Parts: sequence; C-alpha cells; structure tokens
Amino acid sequence: MGRVDFNDVKHETRTFAGVTVPVSVVPRFKRQAYPTRFLFSLKSLVDGMRLTFGYLVRPSTVVTRQYPENRATLKFPERYRASLKFKFDENGYQSCNGCGSCERACPNGSIILETRKGATGKNEIERYIWRMDSCVLCNACVEACSFGSLEMSHDFENAVYDRRLLVYTLNRYAGPTANVLLKEENLEAREAMMTKIDAYGGQVPMNGYALPTVAALGTPREKAATDGKGEAS
Amino acid sequence: MTATSLTYFAIAAAQGAFKNVTVSERTAQAFADGSWILAIVYIVVALGGLAALVTLSGLVLIYVERKLAAHFQCRLGPMRVGWHGIFQTVADAVKLLLKEDVIPEKADKAMHLLAPFLSMMATVMVLGVLPYSPILQITDINIGVLFVTAVSGFGVMGILLGGWSSNNKWSMVGAMRAGAQIISYEISATLALLVVVLFSGSLSLAEIVQSQDAGWWIWRANGVGFVSFIIFVIAVTAEINRTPFDIPEGESELAAGFHTEYSGLRFSFFFLAEFINMFVVSGMTATLFLGGWMPFHIGAWAGFNGFMDLIPPVLWFTGKTSVVIFLIMWFRWTFPRLRVDQLMYLEWKVLLPIGFVNLFAAAVVVLYNLYPFPILVP
Repeated sequence: MGRVDFNDVKHETRTFAGVTVPVSVVPRFKRQAYPTRFLFSLKSLVDGMRLTFGYLVRPSTVVTRQYPENRATLKFPERYRASLKFKFDENGYQSCNGCGSCERACPNGSIILETRKGATGKNEIERYIWRMDSCVLCNACVEACSFGSLEMSHDFENAVYDRRLLVYTLNRYAGPTANVLLKEENLEAREAMMTKIDAYGGQVPMNGYALPTVAALGTPREKAATDGKGEAS
Repeated sequence: MTATSLTYFAIAAAQGAFKNVTVSERTAQAFADGSWILAIVYIVVALGGLAALVTLSGLVLIYVERKLAAHFQCRLGPMRVGWHGIFQTVADAVKLLLKEDVIPEKADKAMHLLAPFLSMMATVMVLGVLPYSPILQITDINIGVLFVTAVSGFGVMGILLGGWSSNNKWSMVGAMRAGAQIISYEISATLALLVVVLFSGSLSLAEIVQSQDAGWWIWRANGVGFVSFIIFVIAVTAEINRTPFDIPEGESELAAGFHTEYSGLRFSFFFLAEFINMFVVSGMTATLFLGGWMPFHIGAWAGFNGFMDLIPPVLWFTGKTSVVIFLIMWFRWTFPRLRVDQLMYLEWKVLLPIGFVNLFAAAVVVLYNLYPFPILVP
C-alpha cells in the first residue's frame, strides 16, 4: 500500500521544443515493504469499522426520508417530474389551442388530442387525453409546447387499482384559449363558448370516455371488447 | 413443576449435581431405569428444543441483521410490521411458506429437492453438540471438535449439490466458488481450533469449556490464543459465505449464486441455514476461545466473581455468542467483497502460514509449560 504525498509535488517550468510550460512533478509511486502494507491494511480495516460503528451508535445520522410520516413536509427538486398537468391562468382559462405539437412530440402516443371548430371559427381543444399508463415522463411535450400550456407537476401518489384510472383528461373545459375568451367582454357569452368537463383533480377516470384500447369505467370487459369505440356510457 | 421440586432443582444445581449431564446421558439413564416414557420425553424435548432454537434464532437473527444493516448504513430498516418492525421476519417467513416452489424443468429433481435439506442438516447436527450450559447440551461426544469440523464440512455438499442440480450457469459457478472457498478456509479454521485442543488437551466441547475455568483461552494462551481467535473468526466468516467473503452468491456477478433457482420453502431453507450457521460458528467461537458458558472471572476478586456467578450460564453463552454474531455482522456491513484471487491469496498465503507458525508456537508453549497460569487438567 503506497500513497502519493501531495506535499512532495514540485511545481517547476520545463522547456519542451523551445516552449516553456509549467509542470507538476509527482514523485514516483513507491510500494512499501510487506509488513508496512500488512499493518496499513489492518489499520484501514479498523478505520472502516470505526466509521460504521459511529453510524450505528448515532441514530441522528439516519438520512432516509420516512415517507408516509413526512407527507406534509415533503420537498421535491424543482425539476422533479411526476405527472403532466395543464397550466391555467387566474380566471381558470387555458392557453392550449390544440395545435398538436405535444401529440406529435410524444414518443409513444400517450397524448391524444381531440379538437373542434369553435364559435370564432378557430381550432379549439375539446378533450386533452393523457395516458399515464404508457407515459414515460420524458418531458418532450412540455418542451414542444409553444404556448407554455403544459407543466410537469410533483403529484406522485398516482397508484390506482384499475389501469383505466390512469387515463386522465387534463383540460377543465372544452373551448378556446384565454386570449380568445378575454376578448369577449360579456361573461355569459364567454361561458357559452366553454363546455365544462370535470376539473382535473388527480384521478379523473376518463369521465366515462372510452378509447380504442381502453374501455370506459363501469363497462364490462366483454362488452368493451366488442364496442369499445367512442363515447361509451 | 412444584415449588418443592424447584427448590430441590436449585439446590442440586448449586451442589453441582447436574454438572455436565447431557440430555443423551439422561435418556440413557432413563432407559437403564426402565422408564422408557421418560426417555421418549427427553428425546422429544431435545428435538423440539432444537427445532425451536433453529426457528427462533433464525427469525431473531434475520431481524437483527436487517436492523443492524440499516443503522450501519444510516437507514432505519423495517419499521412497519409491529413496533419497529419486530414482526417483519414473521411476515416474511409466512410469505416464503406460501410461495410457489418452482423446480426448473431441466433440473435434476431429486438432487434439487435434497440439497437444501443437506445444507440444513449439517447445521442442525452441530447444534446438538454445542454446550449451552453445564446442564443443557443435547449430547457430548468425546470427539466433539472433530465432529463439528466434519459435519460443517458436510454443509458444502448441500451447496454444491444445489448449484449443480439447478442446471444453471450462475448456480454452478456459485457452487464451485463456494466449494473452493469453504474447503480452503476449513484448513485455517481447523489449524486455529487445534491450538485450543492442544491447550485443553481434549476434543470434547464440554471438557474444553471446563478447561477454561481459570481463564478463557483467548488471553490465557500467551497471545497464541488471540492469534488463533482472529484466524478462526476470519476463516469461519469465509466458511459461512458472509461478506466480505460472499463471492459464492455475489449479486453483481452471479444473480444469487448457488440458490438462484430456488424459491419458496426450499430457498428459505438455504437462507435459514445461512443464519443458523452464523449462530453455530459464533457459538463455536464462544465455546473455544471465550469460555463457553463460563462466567467472567478476574483472579482473586471474590466479590466480583461471585456476582458474575449469579448470571446463569445460558445467558453467558448467549451473550458471548451475540458478541461474535455482532462482530460478524459488523464485518459484513463495513467491508467490500473480495475477488476470487484475493480470497485464495488471503487463505493460502496469509492465514495458512500464520496458522502453522501459530500452531507450532502453541505446541512449544504447551510442551515446555510456558504459561503463567496453571493449566487445569479435567
């Protein structure tokens, strides 16, 4: 067991092919005699054991987070990604206009967008379906969105007993973006442009909606296999 | 048991009437007296006691290991099942019992089924000769040390058989490594053990404990005992395949080593055998070097010695065994795993020469009577 003593490192300048450069000269690694190595290795073993014993006798060194107990005080890194979420402004209006960038950016088709022609003739979102069961949380959709409508939230407690509960509807209403809505001064006219959908609040189970491969909740699987398309219940 | 018989028992124990009376001797006496019912009761009690010891110490050791491992690594360990997870191992045992027992299609079925039992049997047979207290020993055979060495060497058969019959590369490699390792380290363990045999002049475990009446061999043997204690602890740690010598089941290279293809009850047999083995080798270390059930005495301090005598021998044995178990667990959660060549280097080039020199020195000490303390010939 030999060690390089960094106090012995010499700093000097040397000339190579006419160029003078600063160099650090490290002393050659010297292998010690057998008894020294033997004692050194014994000492290193004892050092290690002393360290672990220190951890054992001091319970304050526990570093793991005790999850269900510390639920109220959980802290996450800022860029921690647990589930996809829509951004809403202070009025509760979305900025998503259904352009479909996220749908195209999604590597495995976890985002399904359904759009409609709005009252103003513009494209607007009808249903924004996010399939958490196939999502890999790669963040590509958030980066692809030109309008900043999406974000990754820290809601990580997403375990459910039915796979179909992992299909979320992210938008709260089918209708135009905040920009379009705010141009209309009349509140009632604004309301008329929007069709309410259950608010996004965690486990919103497709709202009775069915996908080609996923039957709506409450539909028997046999029945779902035959007519599993479109609005089910 | 009535109060009178309890008193009688206490007096008899105090007078040494039960000194070194093993269960087997009592059974033989009962047979000779013609009361075969009593003899059968003794046999059933001995077997039941062994089964209870195996189960209980297995459950406790696994729990302790997990808790210690956690705290050595700045964690908390099991915390959910019962107070501080105290019933976690019970829950795990129930789970293992209920699990499906999968036998690979291309495995040698008979051998595959036999292997865990061989492994377990070798362990349990050693438990039968350990002296837990002067009145608590299943049987004291006069070649106890030889028996323990032979039978614990038998345990490697189970591992080899399990690895070979699984018909799996990982299992095979793990079993071969286990075979090479256990057989190599048995030499060092035996050399260390021979030192104690030299000093006590007996192969019987009960007599070895008796011979430490005046002082434990770890310090009474002029330093030779301490060296052989160290060698013995290292060698048995390797023999029971524990870190830093756990290359037969090195997870990073071999999946799970020799028990890759085992599941359910059979896996739990291997697992349990591993932990009972730890108890066995710790008990052997305590018996050989730390005085077994002998209380701790200091020379002429009569008051101190009298106080130490108040603690029952069983507790002395358990305490000493626990200390060695803690030491072995401490090793496991501190040291990194050795490579195969390093393992063989340590055995053949370090431990074995030291062991031989140590044995020679011990022989000289015994032959020329070089110790400061008088040796007690039992």
